[in-house]
Amino acid sequence: MSTESRGRTVGVDLDETIGPDPFRLLTLGCVAVLIGSYVHVLREVTGVVGGTQSLLLLVGAMIVAATVLAQTIRPRTATIAAVVAVAVGFTYYFEATGAGVGTALTASGTIVSDTIALATGLPLLRMVEVGLWTLGFAPGPAFLSWYLALRGRYALSVLPAGFALLFLVLTGDAGTTITLIGTVGAIAAVGFGELERRGGSIAQADLLAVLFAAIIVLSLSVTFLPGDDSGPAFADGSSGTLEGTIDTADEQSGISGQVDLSPEVRFTVEAEEHSYWRTGIYDRFAGDEWVRSGQTEEYDGRIGAPPGEHETTTQRITAETELGVLPGAPQQVGLEGPPVRHADVSSHGQPQPADTLVEGDEYEVESAVIDPDPDELRAAGTDDPEYVTDEHDYLQMPEDTSSEFEEYTAEVTEGAETRYDTAAAIERYLRTSKGYSLEVDQPSGNVAEEFLFEMDEGYCVYFATTMVQMLRSEDVPARYVTGYTTGQKIDDDEYVVRGLDAHAWVEVYFPDHGWVAFEPTPGDAREDVHNDRLEDARDEGRDDVDTEESEDVPISDEADENESDDERDDEENGDDEENGDDTDPDDDPPGSDDHPNDDTDDGSGVDDGDGDGDRDLSELVTITREQLAIGFVALVGLVAGVRRTDATTQARREFRLYWHGRRSDPDADARRAYRRLERLLAREYRPRHRAESSRQYLAALSAEESVDPRAKRVAEAYERATYGGGVDREEANEAITTVDELARERLPILRRFR
Amino acid sequence: MTDANPTSATGREPHTPNTLPISAIESLCSDVEANVSRVIVGHDDAIEHVITAILGRGHVLLDDVPGVGKTMLARSLARSVDCRFRRVQFTPDLLPADVTGVNVFNQKTREFEFNEGPVFANVVLGDEINRAPPKTQSALLEAMAEQQVTVDGTTRELPDPFTVIATQNAVEPNQTYELPFAEVDRFMKKLTLGYPDADEETELLGRAVGHHPIDSLEPVTDLETLVRARETVAGVRVEEPIREYATRLAGYTREHAEIGVSPRATISLLRAAQARAVTDGREYVIPDDVQTEAPVVLSHRIKTDSRDRDGASVVEDALEYVRVT
Repeated sequence: MSTESRGRTVGVDLDETIGPDPFRLLTLGCVAVLIGSYVHVLREVTGVVGGTQSLLLLVGAMIVAATVLAQTIRPRTATIAAVVAVAVGFTYYFEATGAGVGTALTASGTIVSDTIALATGLPLLRMVEVGLWTLGFAPGPAFLSWYLALRGRYALSVLPAGFALLFLVLTGDAGTTITLIGTVGAIAAVGFGELERRGGSIAQADLLAVLFAAIIVLSLSVTFLPGDDSGPAFADGSSGTLEGTIDTADEQSGISGQVDLSPEVRFTVEAEEHSYWRTGIYDRFAGDEWVRSGQTEEYDGRIGAPPGEHETTTQRITAETELGVLPGAPQQVGLEGPPVRHADVSSHGQPQPADTLVEGDEYEVESAVIDPDPDELRAAGTDDPEYVTDEHDYLQMPEDTSSEFEEYTAEVTEGAETRYDTAAAIERYLRTSKGYSLEVDQPSGNVAEEFLFEMDEGYCVYFATTMVQMLRSEDVPARYVTGYTTGQKIDDDEYVVRGLDAHAWVEVYFPDHGWVAFEPTPGDAREDVHNDRLEDARDEGRDDVDTEESEDVPISDEADENESDDERDDEENGDDEENGDDTDPDDDPPGSDDHPNDDTDDGSGVDDGDGDGDRDLSELVTITREQLAIGFVALVGLVAGVRRTDATTQARREFRLYWHGRRSDPDADARRAYRRLERLLAREYRPRHRAESSRQYLAALSAEESVDPRAKRVAEAYERATYGGGVDREEANEAITTVDELARERLPILRRFR
Repeated sequence: MTDANPTSATGREPHTPNTLPISAIESLCSDVEANVSRVIVGHDDAIEHVITAILGRGHVLLDDVPGVGKTMLARSLARSVDCRFRRVQFTPDLLPADVTGVNVFNQKTREFEFNEGPVFANVVLGDEINRAPPKTQSALLEAMAEQQVTVDGTTRELPDPFTVIATQNAVEPNQTYELPFAEVDRFMKKLTLGYPDADEETELLGRAVGHHPIDSLEPVTDLETLVRARETVAGVRVEEPIREYATRLAGYTREHAEIGVSPRATISLLRAAQARAVTDGREYVIPDDVQTEAPVVLSHRIKTDSRDRDGASVVEDALEYVRVT
């Protein structure tokens, strides 16, 4: 009957069950987010070692395959297919790494221990052929998850991709943000999947939104906890010491922004020859950090010596504080002493202590020092052994390295015909074109490119990183090494090495000679800064900055000497002239205090006015993208919560009780006035029963209470407006005024003043 | 007549020659009421209901025990208006022709002449309508619905206005023919008078002993005024919220009874509400008008499936639960 259809209301009813389709789409979207999160982590890995395109193609093909097969094959078949895909992937990986499938089967113990090593925090980037590994790892979970999601098995579909993500969390490769995104995706997939299955409503979905907002905001706020610099969402880039940055972990070497120098004495060296004391070797560059690939093995009495002619020297090193590294002149070939009995040796030939050395620990290092002259190196050729070209990433560059970087390097090295000339040209270029400063802002993206193109000054980490990458772009095998400069010479054969001597430099491979060190950091400027810091520390009266002997000896200039490159001395002299003005920051006239940044500029002879501007800006604008995102999430949660609790409606009602709002046509105004009156009366006496007419309501109230007689006139205006064909402006205004008065008389505080 | 749209609203326009000002009708109603009250003691509500039924172009069924003044009410109303009043006493042997009239052969003119039956009047009192067999009842009911009668194939228009006030006896159920449900539906209102209370009865006795006041009753208005008043009532404004409210009430009765009210009932309800609004001096219907009329207009059209509940209680519930706006 027509009357029935009229009774039905038109419009969106929020409690009405909505169709399953939106929830299905949401669920599939969430599963896609989950898959995307773990693939993203793998993509970051391939971004370093190459193979991003193959990875994305492979995953894309799996998604397509799952979509096609979702309607045709049964879950069991799909699972088997996924397992087979993973097996094929890893077989290929083992074959490619040279280990062979046979090894995988026979040496299952190694595989298990490797897996455990990965799952207990070994980053993927440490693995040899990690690119192939990701290609083996990625497709299986993506296929299975997407397949199950399309089949409507939402809870199950979360598992494969979820495990993949979990594994990457355990290896430490998945950061907090990406983990959170993946986790929320997984939970949302299950939640929306359930809503779809049970025919949920939008009202329930907004409850889900509140929960997600709570999860995200709470889990991210955990990293607000003090002392956690690595909180990904809110990392403030706070500077540690140079040393701490270089040795963030024993398999990684970080690159940060502004760093401090620790004047504390680390160790003393008794050595016949001065040298840089090397502590770490890194081959894989991830754009913002260095990673050492390959496994370590226990020290077995001998470390491989350089292939060419070398002299053997011995150093005796005494730890003056706790020491997590084994410094020694390169190339260390033998170790002796109790603390190093169980030392590990990386596949690059750098020994590391098994346990942290404590103050007073002593050990002896035997080093094979090569000292070829430039002509020999020029004649060395480029016939690199497999150890250099294949087994390690000495030629690796991040995938996103721009062609400009390579072109610019080619320009710098134009005319250099040999490997040595190339290295020398790059070294010279960096030493002369960039200034030294510890106060830099960490660039985002590829540090080498940023330093080459955007920055005017930096410190050793920047110089060395950029030089290695420039060398590699010219196909010169190079690696990034860290350690300490020679230190303060306090006797003929004794050196005191402090935290501020921490350093990073470059080693280049020459066939038949081995690894030759190059120093791209301008020496004088660095030394000035470092010595100033030591003097400051001495002035402060710190007692850990000197040993008994070092106090009385002037701070030596030994640190700037490079043991392998004779030409360097000349260049250094040139630098001396360039930086010749002895303007000490402290000697500046008082008038120049308005330009505090000029101090460092003078020291390095480089104008970095732009850099200052950037720094000031970044200090002012402290809202990061992550904070924005979290703010947005919190806002969404808040909105959903508000909708859930209907708080806005409540607030609007409350507000509308006292304020009529913008006037529209008289009829609507009269009706609105009456509604306000009704709410006033409802608060004071009782609400109108739904089946009561306005007259009956007022009559019923008047019968029991003394209702303001003005109310009746408002009700009459309402009646005329609703049923009687309308009221005129004047009547409507009168009704509004009356209700305004009535409302104000009932305001909690204001009415006292009447 | 029943198909006319009661919602066409022209109330705001100044009254045309065919209509009256609202205030005039209001005073007319109170005049008639006062006049009738000289005869009928108490029953003010019933009097008002009958007046609004006449203004709303409806017919009234009075249902009660004998002797409470049903007939007297109808007669006094008819006399208050200067109009043609006829009374039909329904008996078991009454024939349809006795109601509608019959063709008689005139010996003088040698032609059939139509002898108008009692139904040819402005106010027809059908007394004890349930005593006549259904065939005779239906003769009256056709007249009510069509405002015309058909005798020997000739259709004749009934005068306008035409109002039937029928009474039915609630006692002696085995000697009566229960009015069919469909036919009850044609009465706009079904009223019960009930016994007067003690004071009223005492006063009634004081008036009725000696000369019955009905004999001295003078008309207070004429037929033409009544026609114009009915025209005015038909133009009373019924806004959409009211129509929706009536729809909701009807819907409620359909959901909560075996047979709920028909759309004809809803139309009647709004017409009665229009008349009610006028007697209150308004040119538009408000929910209160609908609520006042709903029990008498709707109750007798509802058939319930249980003995405990009758139509009146369903309407009562409807008024209690159906939202007004």
